[in-house]
Order: sequence, then C-alpha cells, then structure tokens
Amino acid sequence: MSFLESKRMHELLNDPIDVLVSFKDNRVFPHTMRWNQKDYKIKDVNLVHSAREGSKRVFFFSVSDSNNYFKLKLDPEVLEWRLVELYTDG
Amino acid sequence: MNSYFASVEQQANPLLRGKPIGITGKHGSIAMSGQRIKVNTDGVHDRSVITTASMEAKLLGVKTAMSTWEARKICPSLILWPGDPHKYSEITERFNKIYNDFTTKVEAFSVDESFLDVTEEAGDYFTATFIAQMIRARLRAECGEHITASIGIGPNKLMAKLASESMKPNGLTVTRPEDTLKLLDSRELDDLCGIGPRIKQRLNMLGIETFKQLREFPLDSLESEFNRYGTWLHEAAHGRDSNVIQSSTVHGLRGMSTETPKSYGHSYTLPRNTHDKLIVKRYLLGLADKVAWRMRRDNFAACRITAFIRYGDFSSHAEQRTFYIPTNDGHKLFQVAWQIIGNCFAGEPVRLVGLSASKLTHKPGQQSLFKKEQKIQSVLPALDSLQHRYGTGVWTRGSLVKTHFKQRSSGFHFDHLV
Repeated sequence: MSFLESKRMHELLNDPIDVLVSFKDNRVFPHTMRWNQKDYKIKDVNLVHSAREGSKRVFFFSVSDSNNYFKLKLDPEVLEWRLVELYTDG
Repeated sequence: MNSYFASVEQQANPLLRGKPIGITGKHGSIAMSGQRIKVNTDGVHDRSVITTASMEAKLLGVKTAMSTWEARKICPSLILWPGDPHKYSEITERFNKIYNDFTTKVEAFSVDESFLDVTEEAGDYFTATFIAQMIRARLRAECGEHITASIGIGPNKLMAKLASESMKPNGLTVTRPEDTLKLLDSRELDDLCGIGPRIKQRLNMLGIETFKQLREFPLDSLESEFNRYGTWLHEAAHGRDSNVIQSSTVHGLRGMSTETPKSYGHSYTLPRNTHDKLIVKRYLLGLADKVAWRMRRDNFAACRITAFIRYGDFSSHAEQRTFYIPTNDGHKLFQVAWQIIGNCFAGEPVRLVGLSASKLTHKPGQQSLFKKEQKIQSVLPALDSLQHRYGTGVWTRGSLVKTHFKQRSSGFHFDHLV
C-alpha cells in the first residue's frame, strides 16, 4: 500500500516542491504542486498565515485536495516552496 | 472564539471538519530537509493535555486540560493534533485588528477573548447588535467560516462575558441592564468569571447556591468571610461591575491587558522523567533565562525566587529564597533556584521543574565590582535588543543548544511572543 493510500496519516516533512501559482490583488494563489514526481491539483486554499524565522518572514499555505491536506511553506526571499505537513484520511 | 485552536485547525484542514479533534499542549518537532516525522494522531501523545477540544469532541465528553490518555479513553475516535502557536497568534492578531476598526477601546482578555467598548460608537443596544453582526461578517471573510465566535453584549464586562457564554457556538446574546438579574438567575454561581469551584464551595457552605441567594446575603457577612472580594461578590450578584475596558494599545503589554505583575514564572514538564541532574539543570537554566527576559522587557527585577520540582509520582517540593539586591539576570536566578532544586534530588525521577520570581521592583540591581559580571551585564541589553527585533529564540546559551523547549499552545501568551 502506498503512503497516500493508507488510512489516516499525519507527517511533518521539509521537502522542496514545485508549485504553480497565480497572483491577484497582491496575493498568491497556489494551483498545482509537484511532489515526488507526482502532480497534485490544489482544490482549496483554506488558510494562509505567516511566521517569523529569524530576520525573515515566511508564509504558510494550508491547502487541500479531496483526500489530502498539505501545508506549504513559501520563503519569499528565495521564492522557494516546501511541503512541511501532510495529512491524509481515507 | 469557539473551540479556538481546534476551529483554526478545522479551517486549515477540511479533513478534520465535523470530527472530534483535540489540540495537544505542545507543538510537534520540525522536520529537517528530507526527513519525515510521523505524528501519532491515533495514539496517546506523551505527557500532553488537551488544550482545546473541537465542538464535536466536547459533545463526546472531551474537556480542556484533560490528559490525552484520558481523552482517548473517553473518545477513542479522537484525533490528536499538535498545536501550531504561530498560526493561532496570527489569527488572534487578525481578529483584534478587525475589532480595532470598530472601536479604539479593545481589551485583549486572552488569546481568544476580547472586550470591546462600543458605547460611544453604538449609542444603543440595537446599534451594538448591528456592530456585532458586522464584526461577525468580517471574521468570516478574513479568518474563515469555520472560525466562529460567540458574542455577548452587556452593560459591563462581567455581564458581556456571561452573555457570550450563554450560546455556543456562534451565538449572539444581548443582555440589557434590565435583563442582567434574569441572566444571572439562570446561571450557576461558577459560570461567572471570577467565581471558581473553591469559592463556589465556600459559598455553598454559607448556604448560597444561587445568585438570588447571594444578592440577599448580608453584605457585611460576605465581607467578613471574603474581605474585599465579598464586596465584589455582592456587586457581581447584582450584575454590577466597575471595571473599565483597558485598551491594550494604551495600557496593554503586547496586546494583552495588564495589571502590575506580582511575579514572573515558568515551569516545564520534561519530555520524559529523568534522574539526570544535568538535564534538569539545563531546563532550569533555560526557564530562568525566559523569566529574566520577561522581567527585563517589563523593566522589573526580583528579590525572591521560588523553585519547584515535581517527581514521577507527582509528589513535589517548593522552596523560596529572598535576597536584598534585586536581579533580572537569568544566570543569577538560575543559581539561586539550583541551590534549592539541587538539594532535592533523592533518587526519584523528576517530571517537572519550574521557578518563579517575585518581590518585584523597578530599582536596578547594584553594579558588580567584578569584571566578568560587569561584562555579562553589558551583554544582556544587546541580547535583549536582538530578542525585541527578531523574537524569542534568537539566542541561546551554548550549554542549552541541545535543550529543546517545545512550544506550548495553551495559556495566555504564545511562547514565541514573550
């Protein structure tokens, strides 16, 4: 059984990912993410928040598709996206 | 806010909506690049408590401050979720900003409760209700539809809080001055903010079971039993409260309402019980630094240290030392605390350590005659300015590099903001 097929799973990670985004009204909207050579279409952006990491501010996007919840981290200084949390249920 | 931390998580993660979830007290680890840390949502988190239960979990009997094992026993389907204080503090900031758009008189009472004085802006209860509805719409738009609030409108803080707790979740209760006694009489004594279970018990022993009986009880008898608190009880039973909104922008400290503090303290439950003196010593030093930083930030120094230790069997020991020269240096606080704690090792495993600094004064401590201590004194302001600028955790002592304090997601302050 692959990881995403298992029943309930909550993991903390720190994997670099590719994210396709659009910009509107000075805001960023992630649409698709590629992780482990697989594309995931983002259905909903549920919450966006920021946190300070030393001198810089990073942004967290809590997004989901039908079966998975992903927490993505954007470092605006280097424009790097990382997948930092994954939860899947069913 | 209703089931605050749980509803923020349900907003962020739709797979948690409609399910019983419990936010656990301490934040999980941070994964390094390429690393995967499995979070056990089914099993029992070690030594943690439920800081917030979702509405669904509350309906199944899970309560705040319940240990995770007890909560799982009551509700086997409970999903345990490690709290995320950064997320919650930003949402707190977001809704306090919304409140400030409606009135300048906003008092942040806790991380998820605020008092707003809209007397001038509203003028009457109808307009106050309209303002409440506008606030609710803004909360929904800017924080998310799953983060809900119960709003109470009343003639004073005490009645507004009681009213807000009358209907959950997402309630709006208006209590006009003429309705206060009716509201009080429909509630238990300990539903009122300021009456805890012990006071309720003492009141019961005096034959007082209801607010009506409390109102009818002679004031002088109440005062002889409770001193000044007796006067407060008498006034509260009549729905009167003279406390005014302490606007956090004027009087507050980092968004929280404040009175002059009587003490500063920190305690920490160790990741596992330990016999190792060095581990306990390191945690105590870390706690002393936290206490010292908060005192320096607020321009206080302490003349008394209380240190406490709790053993694996939940027995505990606390002792205090008083000194003449006030200090707010973490290392000095630690030295005094360690004199107490270090003598308490009797071979039993230690579960928790803590210290508290009291007898506070604004007077600066005496300048040391020794060069080494003078150097440390000159370093502290530099470290403080770094901490002011970049937040908690920006520096640590070399001896504490391997001592990791997990962030709490409970209490009145978020760790990263103090």
